[in-house]
Amino acid sequence: MKTALSQFIRGGFAALLLAFIVTTMPAGAQQPSSVNPTAQSVKEDQLLRALKPGDQLTGRISIPDPKAASLIQPGRDWRSFNQETLPKLGTYAVLGMLLLLALFYMLRGKIRIDAGPSGQKILRFNSVERFAHWTTATSFIILAITGANITFGKTLLTPIMGPEAFAAWAQYAKYIHNYVGFAFMVGVLLVFLVWVKDNMPAMADLKWFAAGGGLLSKGHHPPAKRFNGGQKIVFWSVVIGGFLLSLSGWYLVFPYNTTLADVQWQATIHGVAAFVLIALMLAHAYIGSIGMEGAFDAMGSGEVDLNWAKEHHGLWVEEEMKKGTAHMHPAE
Amino acid sequence: MLIKRKDGSAPRGAFLAGLNGIGAERLDRRSFLRRSGLAAGGLAAIGSLGFGTVREAKAKMPVPGKPVEVRTNICTHCSVGCTVKAEVQEGVWVGQEPAWDSPINRGTHCAKGASVRELVKGERRLKYPMKLVNGEWQRISWDVAFDEISKKMLEIRASSGADSVWFLGSAKFSNEGAYLMRKFAAYWGTNNIDHQARICHSTTVAGVANTWGYGAQTNSYNDIRNAKTMIIMGGNPAEAHPVSLQHVLSGKEVNRANMIVIDPRMTRTAAHATEYVRMRPGTDIPVIWGMLHHIFKNGWEDKKFLAERVYGMDMVRKECEKWTPEETERVTGIPGAQLEKVAKMFATEKPSTLIWCMGATQKTVGTANVRAFCTLLLATGNVGSNGTGANIFRGHCNVQGATDLGLDIANLPLYYGLDAGAWNHWARVWETDYSWFRDRFDVIKAADGKDVSTMEMPGIPSTRWFDATVLPKEQVGQKDRLKGVFVMGHGGNSIPRMPEMTKGLEALDLLVVADPHPTTFAHISGRKNGTYLLPICTQFECSGSRTASNRSIQWGEKVVEPIFESANDYWVLHKFAEKLGFADKMFKNITMVKGKYGMEPEPESILREINRGGWSTGYTGQSPERLKAHMKHQDKFDLVTLRAPKDVPEVGGDYYGLPWPCWGKPEYRHPGTHILYNTNLHVKDGGGTFRARFGVEYEEPQADGSKKKINLLAEGSYSKDSELKDGYPQFTLGVLKRLGWDKDLTEAELATITRIGGNNPDNVAWSIDLSGGIQRVALEHGCIPFGNGKARVNAWNLPDPIPVHREPIYSPRTDLVAKYPTRPDGRQFRVPNIGFTVQKAAVDKGIAKDFPIILSSGRLVEYEGGGEETRSNPWLAELQQDMFVEISVADAADRGIRDGSWVWVTGPESGSKARVKALVTERVGKGVAWMPFHFGGWFMGEDQRSKYPKGTDPFVLGESVNTVTTYGYDPVTGMHEGKVTLCQIRAA
Amino acid sequence: MARMKFLCDADRCIECNACVTACKNEHEVPWGINRRRVVTINDGKPGERSVSMACMHCTDAPCASVCPVNCFYTTADAVVLHSKDLCIGCGYCFYACPFGAPQYPKTGNFGSRGKMDKCTYCAGGPEADNTAAELDKYGRNRLAEGKLPLCAEMCSTKALLAGDGDIIASIYKERVAKRGYGSGAWGWKVAYKETIAI
Repeated sequence: MKTALSQFIRGGFAALLLAFIVTTMPAGAQQPSSVNPTAQSVKEDQLLRALKPGDQLTGRISIPDPKAASLIQPGRDWRSFNQETLPKLGTYAVLGMLLLLALFYMLRGKIRIDAGPSGQKILRFNSVERFAHWTTATSFIILAITGANITFGKTLLTPIMGPEAFAAWAQYAKYIHNYVGFAFMVGVLLVFLVWVKDNMPAMADLKWFAAGGGLLSKGHHPPAKRFNGGQKIVFWSVVIGGFLLSLSGWYLVFPYNTTLADVQWQATIHGVAAFVLIALMLAHAYIGSIGMEGAFDAMGSGEVDLNWAKEHHGLWVEEEMKKGTAHMHPAE
Repeated sequence: MLIKRKDGSAPRGAFLAGLNGIGAERLDRRSFLRRSGLAAGGLAAIGSLGFGTVREAKAKMPVPGKPVEVRTNICTHCSVGCTVKAEVQEGVWVGQEPAWDSPINRGTHCAKGASVRELVKGERRLKYPMKLVNGEWQRISWDVAFDEISKKMLEIRASSGADSVWFLGSAKFSNEGAYLMRKFAAYWGTNNIDHQARICHSTTVAGVANTWGYGAQTNSYNDIRNAKTMIIMGGNPAEAHPVSLQHVLSGKEVNRANMIVIDPRMTRTAAHATEYVRMRPGTDIPVIWGMLHHIFKNGWEDKKFLAERVYGMDMVRKECEKWTPEETERVTGIPGAQLEKVAKMFATEKPSTLIWCMGATQKTVGTANVRAFCTLLLATGNVGSNGTGANIFRGHCNVQGATDLGLDIANLPLYYGLDAGAWNHWARVWETDYSWFRDRFDVIKAADGKDVSTMEMPGIPSTRWFDATVLPKEQVGQKDRLKGVFVMGHGGNSIPRMPEMTKGLEALDLLVVADPHPTTFAHISGRKNGTYLLPICTQFECSGSRTASNRSIQWGEKVVEPIFESANDYWVLHKFAEKLGFADKMFKNITMVKGKYGMEPEPESILREINRGGWSTGYTGQSPERLKAHMKHQDKFDLVTLRAPKDVPEVGGDYYGLPWPCWGKPEYRHPGTHILYNTNLHVKDGGGTFRARFGVEYEEPQADGSKKKINLLAEGSYSKDSELKDGYPQFTLGVLKRLGWDKDLTEAELATITRIGGNNPDNVAWSIDLSGGIQRVALEHGCIPFGNGKARVNAWNLPDPIPVHREPIYSPRTDLVAKYPTRPDGRQFRVPNIGFTVQKAAVDKGIAKDFPIILSSGRLVEYEGGGEETRSNPWLAELQQDMFVEISVADAADRGIRDGSWVWVTGPESGSKARVKALVTERVGKGVAWMPFHFGGWFMGEDQRSKYPKGTDPFVLGESVNTVTTYGYDPVTGMHEGKVTLCQIRAA
Repeated sequence: MARMKFLCDADRCIECNACVTACKNEHEVPWGINRRRVVTINDGKPGERSVSMACMHCTDAPCASVCPVNCFYTTADAVVLHSKDLCIGCGYCFYACPFGAPQYPKTGNFGSRGKMDKCTYCAGGPEADNTAAELDKYGRNRLAEGKLPLCAEMCSTKALLAGDGDIIASIYKERVAKRGYGSGAWGWKVAYKETIAI
């Protein structure tokens, strides 16, 4: 990251540098006929004024830690992000989504299988897929709780638990967060591998969106392949969000010669991605459980009711039938 | 891949790899301490949950509730002489407090001073005596060490002569230790005794003493506060003497003084200058002569001062005529206008002082450089008053004292020289027959075939000992080559030409390294046997006095007992004297007291012996009692004048530390001399004149072959209230008689003088009068014992009586070598000096084409000297973990070298090379590179860590700059040319 | 009560690192933890200035604000201290600190970086003054003994000043007036939201 200072130095001192290169030529070369280091000394004021927002005053230090070479980072942007923006974002995202879902539930109620259960089951997700899902889901929930603890814990829990107990819990939470993070990374990777081929955007998705996913009105189901447009949104959110969370999290846990500004970026990305994803996952969890009849089976037993499948993933059922790979059997 | 958890104490970054798990070791120690209950307490809930907690080693920190005693000692690192206040609890040094009362440091320290407590924690110290057996280090007892070493020494003595054992002492000794070791060499029967002053300020001592009498800092750090202009040339006190900057910057601020730094590097010191002048390394004389050119041309010289107190300036004036601004710029690279400005400030905005360090001294023209510096001071009348003077910043904590006390190849203690008079003087003080000493020395065949004793023959300097080990026997001017080397407190990486030194080490039969650390000597060669390491304690583990650069002597009080099996210098020297059979004679008048391992010499008693013999330099008034009183009453001394008010008990009227000369016996209560040659004060108040050291008259050879008699005594200048209102020679009984002042001598004094003088008591001078009567009488009449002479800028007894520019042996300016060649080959100090041949060969072979970059070296604030001690101190070592070379932006760009990358620095001799990190910076100009000289433990790209005895390897190792530095020796002192040579740098 | 501050007069600072090792010495700070450090701006060029930096004990300290477990507190002398018992080693204070003051025993943040360590203004921690527990966790408590931080007390050129903000500001002002130049009270604007008018 180029700091304003380094640019300042590069620009401002280029001439001087040139002068030096010329001057120190062995013979007959011209040195400046007066150098007054006291008068030429850098002033904090000037340097700060020349600094771009978010940049830092850096110099040289013999300790082999590049972060130690940063003298002053005047900006308090990260602080205000962390103390004001992020909690606000988190609150709005989580509470807002919950509110929205409650509203939706009140208006739409539980989405039923229009044709009613057929009694026939079709395998929607095999065990590998379900493993990928639940690894990701479980770890995400744990990470969400232990992570949100950093943002909201001291406001919400300290008054209840007292500072010592809260610190102990927070310490545990941090450990858990660090370890479970790996499970999440594995989960996201699996999710990506097993489902990416079914999640490539297609024209049908546009139609699906145009029809509002059929969620808003009863009895109308835009055709969808294995995953509909909404599910693809969830998939890509998980993959991209998960990737961002993993990467930023990795760097936060294993900082490698990074500058403070980098770390702040990582923490910012981690926080924003986390709350956005939490909000999305709330919706995902809603629609996959109490929001829709028959949906949970997909990730529960892996087998869904054929009618449910036809209504929500008609094209997929057709494909499966054609391939003859659909494993159907009557419900016991 | 997952990155493993890193241990808490481990360092960061690339250095990790090289540390061989010191982290783990530290953690072990810590957990041990925790278990031992010393770090009681605990992190309550969290701690018991087993989370990674921080607990630091606290065993050496004060335990609340137990009494703490404060002991006062002096920092063992540089010559500023900062007082250290040590908090001691139950025999453990647990903390350092600011020494607010010291007028020198006023509570402050630099990185080294603020971390000296670690020296006696001594994680990496040598813990017990060791010897090398077939390449393996084995632990031995002190007794075995003494027996085996002394037996071997006697064998060498029998087969090759006394001169074949070469002694190297230390600037980190106390005065008493230094004196004792010089005395030891005298009793052994050799002048092969040297120490670090050889490689730091030997040329200063020679050059300055040959100008005005004594070779020491004329003023003091504190007095710089009075200066209105200061030039710092060839020195970087911000890193080498940080606490001195307190005084320098104060002068700069309060007086708005001009602070001019003349240096090839824009140093940390230069960063605070009001004028920075970049010069080409090795052109000091042209710089000074170029300044004097302007001064003489504009009539800025101090004509009255010159007429009254200086001889020979006309000759300098003539030499300076050659140094026109054009020629000066051609040689030095300094623009004429800038040099004129600097010259004008120095000559007209007075008082002005000139501060220098090893940039001036470590050259083949070192002595001449220094004399040029003195000449500039004299020409502008800037000697002998407040705010002026040659402020020579010495190096080690007691390099001044060790120099004074004769750890020198050409002197007995206190600059008496080596002639019969000197030997007789010390034989009288030591109460040992002169003839006994004579019999101890080798007798060799002189060039004319006559037998001659080496007793009056200067020994081999520390820069050349390895040449005297490997050169053909007939080229070494003594009975045999060196067979044994006995080193006490001196690093092995401080001297150029290390590849050749390594060969010298391998050729030795015996190598003894007595030091708190193994030093480079212990690991650099391929030696397999005959090598001994003796653990010596630091000066914090014994008592004694040390002389700061400003000649103030300070008493250090033992803080703790020597740690591990280490022992102090006094005991070790006494034990060897016993084994070698001269302890009874040598310690005849020295009190023995109970020490760690039995009876040992008492430092107070050694100092009293110094007092009894130190007349020449005024080391006579500083009794242990007076010095201790000074330490007790530090708060009474003025910050600027260093003087205590007259009415203060015990120290009233004294200058702090009784800076020498402190005339007469202690009871005479001379206050010491803050500023040398200061005619504004009465001699009894520390005033003085230039020393009449060079005779009364000089027969100056004239162009027509005739000789003109020149008066060398001062004319019309004298110290305040002197009864003699003109120049006068040094005082002898004869002079007293002529003045009719001999009547003032007491009977006892006269009796002593008569005893010393024998048939010719009139010749007994102030410097050998053990009664002190001659000094006393002279002082009572307002006269200084050493006479009132002129300073001389024409040192007719030295090479180049008027300094002339001579290019370094390895110069990039081959065009200038022809015009300004080095001096012809010659022989000095028992070995040949073939500088001219080497310089000519370098030009003929086109060395400057293959090695186009000038290489200079210098100091880092965190480290000292060879650095074994400081690199073993984790608090310091953490701050400088890699050896590096500063290379200019342009040179780095030409070579595709990035900042922080590895490079090879190669030298023009012995295929030498060093693998170091590049520090690309504008600090050095194009064509100049610079390396710090504190590193060791790597040699030509190879890590030598495994060759240290286990647990004694410093935390930080690195290549030594002296692996690539080269040949070149000052003919006057044998000083090496460490500050300028050539090298090539390429990416590794 | 006094409002304690640090002030580094960069026109006096010569990067001698006495402040750094004095701190190491006084508190036995392990390798890798630098409660104080010296940074050189424009290294090697005329105009180079070195500044000794540690925790500035900010007014409205960002570290305290972002700490997820509220382990920071400000003493009556306005010294910002923290409790190692509460610290979870998350690193947030380091992200927020304008001066790079917080240090951790471990470079990585996996599990925990270990308890954060930083300049205490030689004022210990929440334990009772100069008890073994306090010494163990935070080092010596000089302030309780009526002494100022050792780094400033031992500064070779008296560049680093510590003490009551008003007093050290007036010392600095006087210096600048006397010598005629001053590169500023480094960090004051950011830490204390004020500068010293010269």
